[in-house]
Amino acid sequence: MANEPKLSHTAAMILQAIHAGFVYGFGIMEMTGLPSGTVYPAMRRLERDDLIHSQWEKPSIADAEQRPARKYYRLTAAGRETLEASRKRYPLLERLIPTEEAKRV
Amino acid sequence: MRPAIAAPVHVVQIGILRCAARLVPARARREWQREWRSELWHVREATACDAADSWDAERKVTAFCLGAFKDALCLRQCTEKKKQPPLTFRGSAAQCLLLLGLVVTACVLLARLLPAVDAETHLSRYAMRPGLILIQNAESGTDSIATITAWKFRLWQSRPQRYFDDLAYYRMARETVSASGGAAGQLRVAHATANLFEVLGLPLLLATPGRAEDSPTPGVLLSEKTWQRVFHGDPRVFGAVVHIGDQVARVSGVVPVGAWRLPGEADAWMLEPDTAVKGTGYVVAHLTPLGQAEMRGSQIQIAASDSDDGDDDLWGVSFGERTRGPLGLYLFTVFLALLSLPAITSVSLGEYSFCAHKPTWSKRLLRWGFLAAKFLLVLAVAYYASVDVAYWRATSYSVAAENLQLLASFLICLFGMRWVLLDQRQRCPVCLRRVTHPAQVGQASRMFLAWNGVELVCTSGHTLLHVPGMPTSWFSTQRWLYLDSSWEFLFASSGAN
Repeated sequence: MANEPKLSHTAAMILQAIHAGFVYGFGIMEMTGLPSGTVYPAMRRLERDDLIHSQWEKPSIADAEQRPARKYYRLTAAGRETLEASRKRYPLLERLIPTEEAKRV
Repeated sequence: MRPAIAAPVHVVQIGILRCAARLVPARARREWQREWRSELWHVREATACDAADSWDAERKVTAFCLGAFKDALCLRQCTEKKKQPPLTFRGSAAQCLLLLGLVVTACVLLARLLPAVDAETHLSRYAMRPGLILIQNAESGTDSIATITAWKFRLWQSRPQRYFDDLAYYRMARETVSASGGAAGQLRVAHATANLFEVLGLPLLLATPGRAEDSPTPGVLLSEKTWQRVFHGDPRVFGAVVHIGDQVARVSGVVPVGAWRLPGEADAWMLEPDTAVKGTGYVVAHLTPLGQAEMRGSQIQIAASDSDDGDDDLWGVSFGERTRGPLGLYLFTVFLALLSLPAITSVSLGEYSFCAHKPTWSKRLLRWGFLAAKFLLVLAVAYYASVDVAYWRATSYSVAAENLQLLASFLICLFGMRWVLLDQRQRCPVCLRRVTHPAQVGQASRMFLAWNGVELVCTSGHTLLHVPGMPTSWFSTQRWLYLDSSWEFLFASSGAN
């Protein structure tokens, strides 16, 4: 645990948002209320540190919905572990951005 | 339905993204732009529904776009922070140009030290009169052997000539020369008619006025080298009496280095009356306009009737070849080398890739500029090195030196240009470094089943070069494979995170 990176509150919020199912840049912006100039650079750093992983949406899905394909983000195993640690550091994180399971409960 | 303001504002927003994209490293720019354009579409859709008025919506979208600058800067910093493999000087384009530049500099410096090269390269200082020819017996194939007797020269001079308006004669001899201070030793002396230098139109250094006919003592001209070597450049020697063989002469001038371009290398020219010249030598003639009209190329055929010996078949050869200088010869060898180049190497650079990715225009221009610079430097090396080789031992113009320059210049041009093309084919189109680590792939015996050849890689991780072991109809020339960012981990240094 000592080796796990300590995230800023913003980065932890973004991880939590991705974990909560907001997997696109603009969706995370809307959820967290952070501007694009904060969200996207933070995601680049998280991806650089292998906490999240990006992937392009299949063109067939985007074509069917007549919109451009989007790049979506997922937590990596390391990202999930870091998020767990961040939740202990920022206890209100889950309340700010509840996960789908939490909402159902 | 979108408001009318939307279209121009959208253009501005796209412009913002494009400007921001310039900050993103070129390799990641395409994907970055794709993501931001896609997100922009979704942002516009979302804000169009949410915002109360169009201005508010466009303000939000523009604010979103301005965030792209921060993202682009972040991406740039992330890329720069990644530890790049150390770029060594070895194998780089700069090293190649520097080495070629050093070779050119060395050749130029050497050329400056050789007086004959300096004289040859500044030939225009000693321009001879136009319309001059050297008359030779047609049976003699070379001008190194004198063929005209003094008797014939006097005979031609005594007759009215339609084709010539001036004739001069000289013959070469080794004579013992002694000055008042003591013996100067054996010198190569040209015994010439007094009008020789007037016919040639050559300038003299420190010439004393007056012709040889005006004085009972014939004049003698010293070569600049002899004046420096024997008389230590002493100007008091002019007018002094010297003994040449059994004759007495008075020093009347100095012929500058490089001015004398006629057959026979002379240390001194003894200017004698026409009646005094004897032996077998050379005749220099100046053509009248009628004679110049009769010239066929650089030669003219002459028939001289002689009451005793019958007709003489003679050739008049223009001095054009002797006075064209090393530059004309060099340009001719460059032309020959360009014609011969396809015979010894492929002139194709094999520049096409498997994938659609191509280097930017600036990179392409840089690559072509590098190729042009190499060509120019190699051609400069060919010129200076060839004159250095030709005039290393020669003290002045000679046919042998000219032939040596012809050969050296042609070989350096031909093999130099071949090297330029071979080198360019093995340079990464992105960073212009030489590709390294050749790896043999496949087996020649299985060429029809699988690929066979050599693979080389750019150490900076830009490209992979496939060179076929044996050119085939489906793989005739080398191919470049541009490596995208997914290959980066292969080139990361051990210290990189």
